[in-house]
Amino acid sequence: MIEVKHLYKSFEDKDVLIDINAVFDTGKCNMIIGKSGSGKTVLLKNLIGLLSPDKGDIIYEGNSLINMSGKNKKLLHRNIGILFQGSALYDFTTVLGNVMFPLDFFSDLSYNEKLARARFCLDRVNIKDSDNKYPSELSGGMQKRVGIARAIALNPKFLFCDEPNSGLDPYTSILIDQLIEEITKEMNITTVINTHDMNSMLEHGDNIYFVKGGTIAWHGDKRSILSSDNAALKEFVCANALARNIIEGQEK
Amino acid sequence: MINKALTTLGSYFIFLKQVFRKPENVRLYLKQFIVEADKLVFSSVLIVAVISLFIGGVLVIQTASNLENPFIDKMYVGYMVRESLILEFCSTMIALILAGKVGSNIASELGSMRITEQIDAMEMMGINSAGFLVRPKILAATILNPLLMMLSFLLGLAGAWLVVKLTGIIRIASFVEGITYCYNGFYIFYSAFKMSLFSFIISSVSAFCGYYAHGGSLGVGRKSTHAIVASSILILLFDLIVTQLMLY
Repeated sequence: MIEVKHLYKSFEDKDVLIDINAVFDTGKCNMIIGKSGSGKTVLLKNLIGLLSPDKGDIIYEGNSLINMSGKNKKLLHRNIGILFQGSALYDFTTVLGNVMFPLDFFSDLSYNEKLARARFCLDRVNIKDSDNKYPSELSGGMQKRVGIARAIALNPKFLFCDEPNSGLDPYTSILIDQLIEEITKEMNITTVINTHDMNSMLEHGDNIYFVKGGTIAWHGDKRSILSSDNAALKEFVCANALARNIIEGQEK
Repeated sequence: MINKALTTLGSYFIFLKQVFRKPENVRLYLKQFIVEADKLVFSSVLIVAVISLFIGGVLVIQTASNLENPFIDKMYVGYMVRESLILEFCSTMIALILAGKVGSNIASELGSMRITEQIDAMEMMGINSAGFLVRPKILAATILNPLLMMLSFLLGLAGAWLVVKLTGIIRIASFVEGITYCYNGFYIFYSAFKMSLFSFIISSVSAFCGYYAHGGSLGVGRKSTHAIVASSILILLFDLIVTQLMLY
């Protein structure tokens, strides 16, 4: 579980995050949603430690990230898997090399054990016969899958996904979402997904935080998102034609 | 402007401190050292060889054409070619060429990794990205580039010898006497030291520029240009300082 308490972040004179409070539960697909520029990426970067908040705290299973020593932060990072928006696969190595990379650095396994673990992760995300391909030879969807395989290689406790569907066709997006949800339940990890994909929210949003103007404007789940009276959320959700039709149908 | 320069200098030293922090996994760093040695040093052999052969040939023609005084022994042509090659060409000129070839390669590679979040991904795994990505480059270039200097020296002399042989501009015996005349072994050390220092400058400055690149592909391009310009100016500055300290 990750708790966010009274988090503030500003850049020069602009307040980007204002008094953010949230709880991201274990075994659930927690989502941060909002328009572009609402502050959700800044929130995610604060959560993973790429940015430091001005005020407030982020608590990983009872341990404050803000007060954590450098050594403990490194240990925490080994328990965090991240799927970046552009996958961020290492160009200098192959698909197998990318998944082996964290294992090579941080596990005491033998080469064969590491290979077996990497192959297991790749199989889990349905990547087959691509061990020796380089990231540039893969499609966007395959890159995301390899990104997920690399993120789960070290059996993390926390998984962060920054817009996992960006640049993907609707069908591949659904597959990636399903994969993330399956892995979250199977491994019982805390997954935080930063997205504005309506389908992801409606299908997999167990715990959703809607960010607007740097504050949490709404909190709920996939069942309550379409019936909410929150005007800002409604405006955001109704930008999607399908959701708009459902809401209009409910109102009639 | 002075403030900005001092801030950049401070950031550069902080970056170097990060680069030389204790490695997480020595075996992987060694593996990376071999990869970088191939990419940065051995892949430069061809261009260094070609340039050295031609410059050696040109130097012998230019020197011979300027030494027409009958009272000056022709063996001085060989002597002057050797001294020009070892004192300046094989270290400073080759380093300037490498600043363009290797410097832009390092800056653009790291810059691309930065803007595609590959460096962030490494940091988030708890890996010292600067250490893993930059230290092997600096060590490979600093330790192995003096070999390129030696190669350049030998091929420069070979180029000069070939031109003498083909054109008969001076007698081969005079040329050979010249290149062995008053041999000073310290000059080899001086040149190798300069090459090592310049290689450290090229690799570390270019890595610093690339590592902190931002602003998309335009930003990477800008940083690559900065890397070449800054490395070249620093090479010339340190050439002057080292020469004053070691030869005077």
